[in-house]
Formats: sequence, structure tokens, C-alpha cells
Amino acid sequence: MEEVIVYTTPSCPWCHKTKTYLKEKGISFGEKDVADDSGAAQEMIELTGQRSVPVIKKGGQYVVGFDPERLENMLH
Amino acid sequence: MTYDLIIVGAGPSGMTAGVFAARKGLKTLIISEDLGGQVNWTSDIENYMGFQEIDGQALMEKFEAQVKELHLEEQLTTVTSIQKEGELFKVATIKQEYLSKAVIVSSGKKPRTLNASGENEFRNKGVSYCATCDGPLFRNLPVAVIGGGNSAVKSALDLSGYVSEISLITNNGLTADNILVERLNKLEHLKKYLSHTVVEIKGSKSVEKAILEDVHNQQRFEISVQGIFIEIGLDPNQSFLGDWVEKNEIGEIKVDCLCRTNIPGLYAAGDVTSVPEKQIIVAAGEGAKAAIKAWEYLLKNPESEYLH
Repeated sequence: MEEVIVYTTPSCPWCHKTKTYLKEKGISFGEKDVADDSGAAQEMIELTGQRSVPVIKKGGQYVVGFDPERLENMLH
Repeated sequence: MTYDLIIVGAGPSGMTAGVFAARKGLKTLIISEDLGGQVNWTSDIENYMGFQEIDGQALMEKFEAQVKELHLEEQLTTVTSIQKEGELFKVATIKQEYLSKAVIVSSGKKPRTLNASGENEFRNKGVSYCATCDGPLFRNLPVAVIGGGNSAVKSALDLSGYVSEISLITNNGLTADNILVERLNKLEHLKKYLSHTVVEIKGSKSVEKAILEDVHNQQRFEISVQGIFIEIGLDPNQSFLGDWVEKNEIGEIKVDCLCRTNIPGLYAAGDVTSVPEKQIIVAAGEGAKAAIKAWEYLLKNPESEYLH
């Protein structure tokens, strides 16, 4: 299965919600803090064309923002 | 199936209402887009009794734990309409419809939009309503903060650690607390436009420019910015309620001191209402009142199965 990556910033409530949601669903994921890692920030902006967190990526697909319904579609 | 009570929104007022309703034994459903609402965006809270200092998310996690303990039913989704049919309320979400004998609307407020041309087009592409979330993505870039109140000035202070230049734009001067304004005025690379509105946001793939207009002489000019953070206040979340529910001139649901709206069985609590003080502790108290009043309404309602 392709790895799930969550792009976050430390003080972003929706990033926190997203991680809690994934943990509750038992989905393992990697996290990239774009405040700390400018390479990851660039990668995220190029992927989505947007400057907004959280971004949840799986393979070539991604969701911007905490949106449980779209996440469920992407992750299953 | 018919619920005794549906609570729309799960910030401090909605979650408190849920706890009181569950303890009264009401068959309750909470429908909300999230748990915690606006408080999730608040960092240090120093005026919620019982906690000398607590982070907004941490406080809401405590509320959530108390709600979960009572096994209240929750649906994380968006309410699209509420209608009254006979004695019952029909609450529609984007997924399905629910019936309830009473309803509490505690849906809070959301950031107000500018209504400038380009604002929607560039949402998340430079236009942001959360400096603390998205600020780090604007490292070494020039940005604008729109607004002159506490939230706007706090956002400017937060952003100052990342960005190359901040233009603070407000058409109404600085209304933020003095202590914040003093800190703002110490920032380097700050430009202030204190009698200006943003009339247009321009760019190709993302924000590149903002067109400002001076409110005194209507002169327009452009500034180069790659981020625009909008902090111009809040609007009540009540678009799912029709004109049959009375609101005040700023769109807040009118309630009396018993949390009653003009519709019997429909209660409202917290920041979405006309209650003057928008504070977590006030919202929580209003949620408690609304639940108790809804329970009393159900006791008096002859249709209520709650009586047996």
C-alpha cells in the first residue's frame, strides 16, 4: 500500500484534527512539517499549487484541508 | 426515528448543551462540521474558569471527552436546512434528513470574507483566513494582512517571523488593544495602510498583487504581495435557516434570555446568537440554558414520548 503523507504546520488546528482522524481510523502516515522543512514546503506547493495546510497525500492523489468525506474516498 | 433534540454545531455551547441534554435523558443527536469550533483557533485561554491557562484545542479535547463519555450520537457533516413541519423539525444535511422534536442551533461564527474580486479564485492560492496555519508557507515573501482589530494585529505579529514584508490594510484605523499595537509598531518591514480597502486581488496561478483604494479620495494603486491574510471579523453561521427565524441586523439569531427564538421548540446558543458577549464561558453557559429550556419544552409538549 502506498504511504500516506500529511503536510502540516505546528499551530494549525486542522492539521491536528487530520492526524487524530487518521489515528482513529488506524491509518499509518508520515508527517512533514512544512514550517521546519522548506524542501517539503516547496514539494507541497508544487504538488497542489496551493499554499495551505494540511495536505494529505497518497500516491498521486491529494486532499487539501481536513475533509473527512474526501479523505475517506481517497484512502479506501 | 425521531430525536428529542438535535444540536447543530459542537463548539463550547453545542457540546455543553449535549452534556446537559444527555443527563436529562434526551435522545440527542449532535450534527457539526467539527468538534471545538472557533476555539480550535485560539491559543492561550486565560479566562475560562478552572484552567488558569489552557490552549484552545486542549480545552476542546476536554469538552469532547466529556461528551464522548455520555455516548451522544454525533454526525460530522454540514447542515443544509432546518424546516418545521407540524410539531417536528426536519434537519437536512448533505447526506440525509433527521427528525427532531426540538432543535438547538449553536453553529458559531466563521471568518468574514472581503468580497473583493479575486478573493474566491485565489483562496488557498495566496488568500488565507488562518495566519497561524499557513504563515510558514510564505517564508521570505511579501504579504498583506487585512483588518485592524486584535486578530489582524496578532496575525501580523505571527507572520513577522516568516515573511519578508507585511502590509497592514484597514479602512477603519487600528482598533486592536494598545499592547498589540505597540508590538506591531516595532516590526521592521511593516507598511501601514490605515484608510484603505482592497478592491481586487490579482495574479496568474497565485496571488501577485492587491489593488487598494484610499477611502478618502478613491485613488487606486497596486501593491505586490504573494499572500493575503483576511482577519476582518466574523459572520454567524445561519445560512441554513430561512427567514422564518428572526435575526438581528448583523445576522445573529435573535434569542431572549431563555435562549428561545421566535419559533417554539427552536433554541439557539453561543456566538451565533444575539447574546452580546462572545466568550467561551458565556457560550458554554448559554448551551446549558438552551438544553434545560429544550427539556422543559419537551416536558410540556403533549406529543413528547419523553413523558413516559
